[in-house]
Amino acid sequence: MSNTKETMFIAKPKKLKRGWLIAMLFAAWVVLAKIFQGQATLVLAVPEDTGVTTWAGNVAASIRANRSDGASFKYFFNPIREFIDGFVTGIREIIAIPAGDSSIPLLGWLGVIAVIGFVVYAVSHLRMAIAAVILVFACGALGLWTDSMDTLAMTLAAVIMSLLIGIPVGIWAGLSDRALKAVTPILDLAQILPTLVYLAPLALFFLIGPASATIATMVYSIPIAVRLTAFGIRGVPVSPVEAGTSMGTTKIQLLRKIQLPMSSRTIILGINQTVMAALSFVVIAALIGAPGLGKPVIDALIIRDVGGGFVAGIAVVLIAIMLDRSTSAAISIDESFVPAPASARRRRKLGLVSAGVATIICIVLSRQLAWAAYFPEQVDISKPVSNVTESSIFWITENFEFLTTGLAKAVTVGILNPLEGVLSNSPWFLTVAMISLLSLILGGLRSAFITLTLLLAIVASGLWFDTMVTFTQTIVATILTMLIGVVVGVWIGRSTRAERALRPILDAGQTLPAFVYLIPMLGFFGPSRFTGIATGIVYSIPIVVKIVGQGIREVPTNMIEAAISTGSTKWQLITKVQLPAAKKSLLLATNQGLIFVLAVVVIGGLVGAGGLGYLVIVGGSKPELQGKGLIAGFSILLLGLMIDRIAQYTVARNSAPKH
Amino acid sequence: MIRNKKAAAKASVLAAAAALLLAACGGAGVDAEASAAPTDAAEVAACGSYAIAMHAWVGYTASAQVVTEIAKANGCDISQVTLAEAGVTYDAMEAGSVDLVIEDWGGGRWQEWADRGALVQVGDNGNIGIIGMYVPQWMADENPDITDSANLNKYADLFVTDESKGKGAWYEGPPGYTTIGEKMISANKLNFTAISTGSEQALIDVFTKAAADKTPAIGYWYTPQNFLAKVPLARINFPANDWTDPEQASGLTDYPELPLQKLATPKVIDANDAFTKIVKNFTWTNDDQNEVAADIESGTDPAVAAQKWIDAHADIVAGWLK
Repeated sequence: MSNTKETMFIAKPKKLKRGWLIAMLFAAWVVLAKIFQGQATLVLAVPEDTGVTTWAGNVAASIRANRSDGASFKYFFNPIREFIDGFVTGIREIIAIPAGDSSIPLLGWLGVIAVIGFVVYAVSHLRMAIAAVILVFACGALGLWTDSMDTLAMTLAAVIMSLLIGIPVGIWAGLSDRALKAVTPILDLAQILPTLVYLAPLALFFLIGPASATIATMVYSIPIAVRLTAFGIRGVPVSPVEAGTSMGTTKIQLLRKIQLPMSSRTIILGINQTVMAALSFVVIAALIGAPGLGKPVIDALIIRDVGGGFVAGIAVVLIAIMLDRSTSAAISIDESFVPAPASARRRRKLGLVSAGVATIICIVLSRQLAWAAYFPEQVDISKPVSNVTESSIFWITENFEFLTTGLAKAVTVGILNPLEGVLSNSPWFLTVAMISLLSLILGGLRSAFITLTLLLAIVASGLWFDTMVTFTQTIVATILTMLIGVVVGVWIGRSTRAERALRPILDAGQTLPAFVYLIPMLGFFGPSRFTGIATGIVYSIPIVVKIVGQGIREVPTNMIEAAISTGSTKWQLITKVQLPAAKKSLLLATNQGLIFVLAVVVIGGLVGAGGLGYLVIVGGSKPELQGKGLIAGFSILLLGLMIDRIAQYTVARNSAPKH
Repeated sequence: MIRNKKAAAKASVLAAAAALLLAACGGAGVDAEASAAPTDAAEVAACGSYAIAMHAWVGYTASAQVVTEIAKANGCDISQVTLAEAGVTYDAMEAGSVDLVIEDWGGGRWQEWADRGALVQVGDNGNIGIIGMYVPQWMADENPDITDSANLNKYADLFVTDESKGKGAWYEGPPGYTTIGEKMISANKLNFTAISTGSEQALIDVFTKAAADKTPAIGYWYTPQNFLAKVPLARINFPANDWTDPEQASGLTDYPELPLQKLATPKVIDANDAFTKIVKNFTWTNDDQNEVAADIESGTDPAVAAQKWIDAHADIVAGWLK
């Protein structure tokens, strides 16, 4: 205890000094911004270009011009596109789209459901298989059988190819330090890259269609497969590896007999995470022509069909639950080391054989009889579900308008507009200098240097003003997210019952595509910056709550007991002991919150939030603005990098051992 | 257990492979049933499979759905692909994932793609597109001079919101639509800020609210669109564009009237089947489109609404198939 007191003693004056510095910096910033309001803001109207965006537009135009006979397209991009298109179409023809000359896919709906049930049964157990069958059937009952199957097929195709690339690279990075060093920066970059950013460049090379969508999904999910595979291989204890080496096994044997089997659990977890990542990409991939459930969601966004969007969103969540639970069940089966008794094994064998026979019968039926081939329209429950959703949203908008518009107005007038005045509506050099100084105080010299470089790169891109608009929205959304997230996080960190009650909601929140709740948000708040902010908050709260809750739970019990024994109140316990002790988690949560918010705030460009996201979207549909859209995407990346670097250096500085 | 699981996994892969083989060899009995259905076998063979681009506005849905229903009735295999307007769609046509745009507002943005042979301009679809800036009718009734763009700055204060930075809020069309709001604001020296709206529905909300609560609003709207029949709006008259100067791109003062275009892939033109005929001959009036759009807006399934129009205009449809 005396030890803790001592460190607190040393740490306190330093922290106080830093707090003062930051406060003084902000005061100077606000005053200077007020004086120079509206000067040198580098504001650029949407149809206007700068040197850099014109250059990017010319590059894009020459790439487009090359698409039919340029050598790089003929021998590289087009063959890749055709190969992936063929692969995806092949999988889609099995379950989703009419195969060849036939009027149905290779499997009718009954066949698909039977195969899913059988595969899940084979890798896990009967209960999970029944659940999977019910979940898939529910997608059909929502009137979205074909779209659901398209989503399943697209996910499957992207996952197979991601694993074919990701697992070997992951094994390599697990075995070789040099390989790990080479891939780590790429993996880090991929993790902070907002998904909206790489759609346009991919579409430029691979055009609009399933191939582009699959490649975009792979960009998102391969890093996860690589990371977890490498992690699994590296987690294998040293002694079995040494034992193997001393017995003279070859490297291949070592890998096949010891390292891979011993890390299989982490690798299956990697597969699970890869599947979930691919699935979470479903909706945004529809922007570049992915077939499946993303289509009705985007449609619903454009005509603001809240009910329809919600129905499609539910189908995505059902498929997510199905895939998540069945791959997790496969992991848990792997865990048991106790061999099953002979009778149980015999029973299982019998079960597998009979299930296999039933599956084959279902497949044959699904190809011969219309009722088993086409999903029955009679069980369509999409209308009531969509009506109930719509009327409840309508009811909320009608009766709580004072609340929704009041909230939007309070945040817009109270925080957003003043902050925009400081960040985007003041001279660029002032903002650059102040953010760099802040980065210096928070993260040190190196952090400040990187921040300054990235900010100057943004200025050079010509999209400074729009970047600051997006940055302002990101900051406001993150502040609100942290306010809510810390309160809820502390609550679930302190109460197991609360944790258990909230976990399903948090899990669902993480799988529901942000687009789905963007639609009702648009209904609540109209086309405005706050709509994007509110969506960003909802999207990032689950991850923040989880990290904060975890941090609070990990505070050593002896610290808490000591505090209680000295008679501190509950409030004192939280503010003086638990929150300070969980400081690292709070910083980590802030970092994650910022990155998650940024990824969604840019989607706000679709609903009137302006900023970089709007430019990215406009650049996609207006050829003359394509260059500007591409540079806007790049600026989002620079902004994300800057946020991440400042946060990382701040975390590193705060968790460094004190001397 | 691990061994047992491995065996299970192997068994499941084998079973799946066997099942697929079985499925692939077996020949779908469903197909036999389908061809036994009373469709003319010769007609079925006479048309290929095509994807029609679907855009967000209901008028487009009306046109595309009518083409879809006629093509399906003539044995074509039609799928619909939802995409944003212009660039995204042209790229999709170049990739072969979309074959037809039935109503293009791009005003020639597709030229570069046409030059590369990715798509063909098939001709006018009969609809005349007029985009403009509108205020609710009550504003024009109370202030008759507001419809003259020269007087807009006088009223700018009325349109200020929290989002519009002290200037008038100018509600721009959705990002996927053809919009030149900022060019118009600067060319006409207006004291307004263009605010992008995310969707057509957001614009509809703005206008509906403005009409019902008598709140001021100015925003993007267009015809053919059935909405004008429900919520009366008054169009602001801007000075017409001076097209004598080809460099006018930065000085656009108003949206031009646009004969809307049909764009198709060379595949459609070369096939010379029923779909080719429908695409080449399809043309209808703004009233026709509004009729179908009105049904769709009031909740009728687009396919049903389209079929209703087709049944009522059998002679016109027959003409398209010649």
